[in-house]
Amino acid sequence: MYKHTPFDRHVIRQRAAQFRDQLQRHLGGQLGEEEFRALRLQNGWYIQRHAPMLRVAVPYGEISATQLRALARIAREYDRGYAHFTTRQNVQFNWIPLARAADVMDELAAVDMHGIQTSGNCIRNITTDAFAGIAPDEIVDPRPYCEILRQWSTLHPEFAFLPRKFKIAVTGAVEDRAAIAWHDIGLQLRRNDAGEVGFRVHVGGGMGRTPVIASVAREFVPWQQILVYIEAIVRVYNRYGRRDNAFKARIKILVKAEGQKFFEAVETEFHNILERDEAGSAHLIPQAELDRVSRSFRVPVGVAQPAAANDASMRDAPGVPLAHQRWLARNVHSHRLNGYRAVTLSLKRPGQPPGDATAEQLERAATLADRYSFGELRVTHDQNLVLPWVRTGDLRALWEDARAANFATPNIGLLTDMIACPGGDFCGLANARSIPVAAAITERFDDLDELYDIGNIDLHISGCINSCGHHHSGHIGILGVDKDGMEWYQVALGGSDGSALSGAPLPAKVIGPAFAADEVPDVIEALIDTYRRERSGAEHFIETVRRVGVESFKSAANAVRRATAREFAA
Amino acid sequence: MRFVHPHRGPWRTVSGDDGPLVSITPQPHLLLSLAEWHAVRGHWPQGMPVGVQFANDLDVEVLEVDLPRLALVALEFPKWTDGRAYSQARLLRSRLRYAGEVRATGEVLVDMLPLLARTGFDAVALRADQRQDAAERALGYFGGHYQGDMLDAQPLFAKPPGWAEHAARPPVREFVDAGVSI
Repeated sequence: MYKHTPFDRHVIRQRAAQFRDQLQRHLGGQLGEEEFRALRLQNGWYIQRHAPMLRVAVPYGEISATQLRALARIAREYDRGYAHFTTRQNVQFNWIPLARAADVMDELAAVDMHGIQTSGNCIRNITTDAFAGIAPDEIVDPRPYCEILRQWSTLHPEFAFLPRKFKIAVTGAVEDRAAIAWHDIGLQLRRNDAGEVGFRVHVGGGMGRTPVIASVAREFVPWQQILVYIEAIVRVYNRYGRRDNAFKARIKILVKAEGQKFFEAVETEFHNILERDEAGSAHLIPQAELDRVSRSFRVPVGVAQPAAANDASMRDAPGVPLAHQRWLARNVHSHRLNGYRAVTLSLKRPGQPPGDATAEQLERAATLADRYSFGELRVTHDQNLVLPWVRTGDLRALWEDARAANFATPNIGLLTDMIACPGGDFCGLANARSIPVAAAITERFDDLDELYDIGNIDLHISGCINSCGHHHSGHIGILGVDKDGMEWYQVALGGSDGSALSGAPLPAKVIGPAFAADEVPDVIEALIDTYRRERSGAEHFIETVRRVGVESFKSAANAVRRATAREFAA
Repeated sequence: MRFVHPHRGPWRTVSGDDGPLVSITPQPHLLLSLAEWHAVRGHWPQGMPVGVQFANDLDVEVLEVDLPRLALVALEFPKWTDGRAYSQARLLRSRLRYAGEVRATGEVLVDMLPLLARTGFDAVALRADQRQDAAERALGYFGGHYQGDMLDAQPLFAKPPGWAEHAARPPVREFVDAGVSI
C-alpha cells in the first residue's frame, strides 16, 4: 500500500481544516446552501433522503486494517453502526449528522483517509482491479500509476468545476476486471513491441440515461506522458463539454457529438502542451517518481515464496467439509506468487444489504487482515473485500475465522453475489428501492446447490438511472423506475463489463415494460429456468443469452406477469 | 492577488442601455467586449491602456494576436460552478504568455481564490457580499500542491529534496490563533 509522506498528510489535514471552516461558515449562516453544496460535495458530503451521506475515498481500493478500524469507530460513534462499500471501491456512511462532519474528517485524516473529490464535478476516485499487483495474468501493476494519477488530480485547480463528474479506471492485466470501457477515461496498461510500458487510452464510456462504451483515443501513450495526455482530454472537456443540460454534460456526449474532431482536438492540445506551453513538459513523469511510488507497492515484508509449487488444491483432500470445499472453489483465487492466494470476504449474505458491513464486522475484517494478509485489504468494484496476501497453509484457519464473522458465504461470482446500490431506502436520487429487491432474490435463491448449478452470473441492481448499481453491464440488469408514484423495475439482459466471462463490453437490452416489485423474483426465476433449459454443455448464463438471443428469455419473463400483465398485453 | 472594486479604479465599460455603441472614442482604461474591441482595434492608439471582457464560451486563442496590446483581460464566471474560465486563464498565461492583468469577474466567491490564484488570475472582483479578508484567508491553507500551476510550475515530484517536508510543516501559530471565522 502507498506510504503517506508528511506532505500527503499535510494535504489531507489542511483539506479537513478548510472544510471545517466552510462548514462553520455554513452553519453560522455566512455561507449559503447553494454555495456550500459544491464545496461539501468535493469533500464527499451529500444531503440525502434521511441524513447526510459521506463518501470516503479508498484510493484504487487499497485499505489497511488500521483504516478499517477507524471506519468501525466512526460507524459506531458518529453513525448507526455500519458502513457500505460502493461500486467505485469507496466506502459510504449514511447517518452522520452534518454538524459533526468536520470532526469525522479529522478522524479520517488521522488514518490518511478523506473524502476529497469523491463527489462534485471533478476527477473522482481512480479505480482499478482488486487483484492489482497479485493477479497471475498481470502485465503491469497499475497501482503506482493510480497513485501518481491520484496525486496529479487531487485539488487540480483547473479541473475542479468540470461540466460533470469525471471517472477514471485503470487495468494492468490481460482480463479487464475494472470495467474500463464504462468510464470517462479507461486506461489499459500494456507493452509495445519494444517492451516499453504505456497505456491504451479509452475515452467517453459511461452509464446513466445513455449507456456508451468508450472509444479508443490512442493505442499507446508512453507511461511518462500519461498525465499530460489526460490533461489534454480533461481540458478539451472542460472547454467544450455541455453546460446547458446536466443530463448531457458527461464527456461521452461530447465524444459522440464531435466524433473524430474530438480526438483531433485532444491530440492538438496534447501537442500544444508539450511544444508550446511554458513548462509544458513539467508533468512528464520522471523515472525517479515512478520508482519512489513503486517502492510502496512491493510485496509486503514477510511474504516469502515457497521453493516449490506445492499448491495442489486442498479441495479434494479427504475429510474436508463440503462448505470449506465450496469456499475454496468460489472465494479463493489464484495468485501470481507460489504459495499464496487472494481471498474474498463476501459481503453478500442474507440479512444484510449487498456491500454493507457492521462496525463489528469491519473490526473482524481488520483482524483477519492483520492475521492472514499482512494488514492489507482491497475493496472490490462489486462491493466485497479481498485479502490479497493469504498463505495457502492458512486457508483452513482463515475460513473458520471468516465464517465466525459472517464473511464466508461461498457465493463469489454467483447469482447472490449481486451488485446493488443503496437505492431508495437511503438515496434521495433513487426512484425505487433496491435493497428489498436484492433481499427477495437472495431469499428465493438460498439453495447453494442451485446457485452452483446456475454458475457464474452478474446480477446488477440500480435504484435509478444514475446507475450506481451498474445495471447496464449486468448479465441481468434491474433498474428501479418511478411510474405514477410507485416502484417498478425494468429488467434487461446481456450486458457486459468487459470481463473475460462477459465478453466485449455492451449495454444490456431491456426485455419489456417494467415489472412490479413482487414480480421481480419470479422474473429472475423464469430467466434462470430458461437458461437451464436452453444451455448447451457447461456454458454460463451470459453465453446462452449470446447464443440463443433474448426472445425465449423475454417470453418466460413476461409470462410471469401478474400486476403488470394487462399493461403488457395492451 | 489584487481585489478590485468595480466602482473604484480606472476601468470603465462602454456599453449603454441601448446596446453596443455605434462608435467608441478611444480613451484610457476602457474595458470592451470582444465585438467592441474588434471594431476599434484598427485605430486604437499605441500605448493607451485597453482591456477586453471575454466571455467564457469563447476560445482565448482568438485574442492571441492582440494580447501584447491588452493591459487587461477580464474573464467570466456566469455561475461560480462554471469552470471554463480556469482553462482560459491557464491558456492565456502558459500558452499565449500573456503578461497583463487577468481578472475574475461574475459570480466570484471567496472559496474560489486558491483555484483562481493557481490558474493564473492576478485580480478578482468579488461578488458584492463576499468579504476580502475571508478571500485572503482562503489562500493560506496549503503549503504546497501536488501538481504544478501558474504560481509554481514544478509539480511536487520535480521539487528538490527537503522541499516537501518544509511545505508540510505545521501552520504558523499566528495564523492558527487568528481563526478562520468571518
